[in-house]
Amino acid sequence: MTSTPHLLATRNLIARYGDFQALFSVDFRIGPGEVVALIGANGAGKSTFLRALMGLLPVGRDMVFFEDQPVGGSQPHHMVQLGVAMVPEGRRLFAGMSVEDNLKVAIDHARKTAEKTWTLERIYKLFPILQEKRAAQVEKLSGGQQQMVAIGRALLAQPRLLLCDEISLGLAPKVIREIYEVLPEIAKTGTSIIIVEQDVMLAQRASNRLYCMLEGHITLESLSSDVTRADIAQAYFGAGHEVA
Amino acid sequence: MKWLDALIQGVLLGGMYAQYALGMALMFGVMRLVNIAHGDLVVLLALIGISASVAFGIGPLPLVLILVPLAALIGWSLQKFVLNKVVGADSLPSLIATFGLSIALQNLMLEIWSADTRSMRGGGIESASIDIGGIYIGLLPVLILVAATLLTGGLDLTMHRTRFGRALRAAAADTEAAAMTGVNPRVVYAYATAIAVGILGLSGVFFALRATVSPADGPAQLIYAFEAVIIGGMGSIWGGFVGSMVLGIAQAIGFRIDPGFGTLAGHLVFLTVLATRPQGLMSRG
Repeated sequence: MTSTPHLLATRNLIARYGDFQALFSVDFRIGPGEVVALIGANGAGKSTFLRALMGLLPVGRDMVFFEDQPVGGSQPHHMVQLGVAMVPEGRRLFAGMSVEDNLKVAIDHARKTAEKTWTLERIYKLFPILQEKRAAQVEKLSGGQQQMVAIGRALLAQPRLLLCDEISLGLAPKVIREIYEVLPEIAKTGTSIIIVEQDVMLAQRASNRLYCMLEGHITLESLSSDVTRADIAQAYFGAGHEVA
Repeated sequence: MKWLDALIQGVLLGGMYAQYALGMALMFGVMRLVNIAHGDLVVLLALIGISASVAFGIGPLPLVLILVPLAALIGWSLQKFVLNKVVGADSLPSLIATFGLSIALQNLMLEIWSADTRSMRGGGIESASIDIGGIYIGLLPVLILVAATLLTGGLDLTMHRTRFGRALRAAAADTEAAAMTGVNPRVVYAYATAIAVGILGLSGVFFALRATVSPADGPAQLIYAFEAVIIGGMGSIWGGFVGSMVLGIAQAIGFRIDPGFGTLAGHLVFLTVLATRPQGLMSRG
């Protein structure tokens, strides 16, 4: 590969749902400790891309590389062992189970490492409200608290790459701020983060680099600090759209 | 006295149903897999037990030690080679697959054992009883009840206190989310079905000791197990136990009212629960 070390890269990634092709030769890379945002309109293929990385969609072996090893199409629990964890869209908590049991499932099946970066104590320090609610069933929690459980659950898998799918969706602005405040702390531990986000400004602020997707294609790749609103509008809506 | 006796006999009958209901509570209540062959598997294991006891002259206890691992292996294979193909989908494919298995098993058993009813000799244990103030309590039904209670308690603890239990509940709640949390749902489900059917190895021996067995008896046991789980509440392990007690007591009282009314009384109580408390007695919902 190239001189810059990649934690994860995709080459010519293609994914389809039956006859419908959702991703067209996506080339993507993320380095260790990097925060990369993926923006795009509804249906652009952002969630599909994350699902393909997590092993939830069948893709070719040599379409996804983790530390230069081809891992495309591996089972999700293998991806967890490699160091990929996901905060799925809609949180997808284990209903009927307590906050702590939800988190313990992740602890039980975490990536095997000598040193655990994330412990239950650390998650409770990051989100103190979860300690208070640890015995409560997850469906009794507010949306923001559920999102915290989903993030905690992913972190306890001891990821080297965290996939965050629409973690601001349906939350109050104050709660979104709280959630996004923890991302730098996660990145500080050396964990790379991919954030899929509807809110373009938020995505740009929170990331080092960003990609924009349109109808299954990558239409923009840039440093987040360099990109202009005109570039984004062009990539987000496609050619021929007036820039606002 | 007559009604107290009916109540006690009902609880003891419920103990037998609880053994069937336990595996059903796990597979249907928690994993949402419909195993129509559940009752036929009990009958199959009972018939294997009867034949083995005759052929090798072994008693009930060594039989249990052979049948439980055999049953667990059957359960594991059923999940690995049949039901795991339909994990994550709705419950209809599992219903159809096991419905076919049920019919095949019944015909296979008919071929091997014919339609004759059989029973197992237990060296006197099947007819031993204790006389408590004029009420005769069979030793075997008490043993069955104790075993059912211990198994239910053990399984409930397993579900709530162990790594395996948490993984199973997580996979049942959201298979895909469990997978992305590092759980391999197929492996967890294979072990769970091994437990569910493994318990039937013990139930099969008790069934053969307590009653007569013939290849067509499966569907009735299946219905009792289904009803017990639904009366008790989906997703609750103790619910299956409580549902079995309700069913057993209703049948025993029904039999005292009229010998032809017993089984129907159980179904009527089931329908009443379904109409007035469809989420089941033990469900938090």
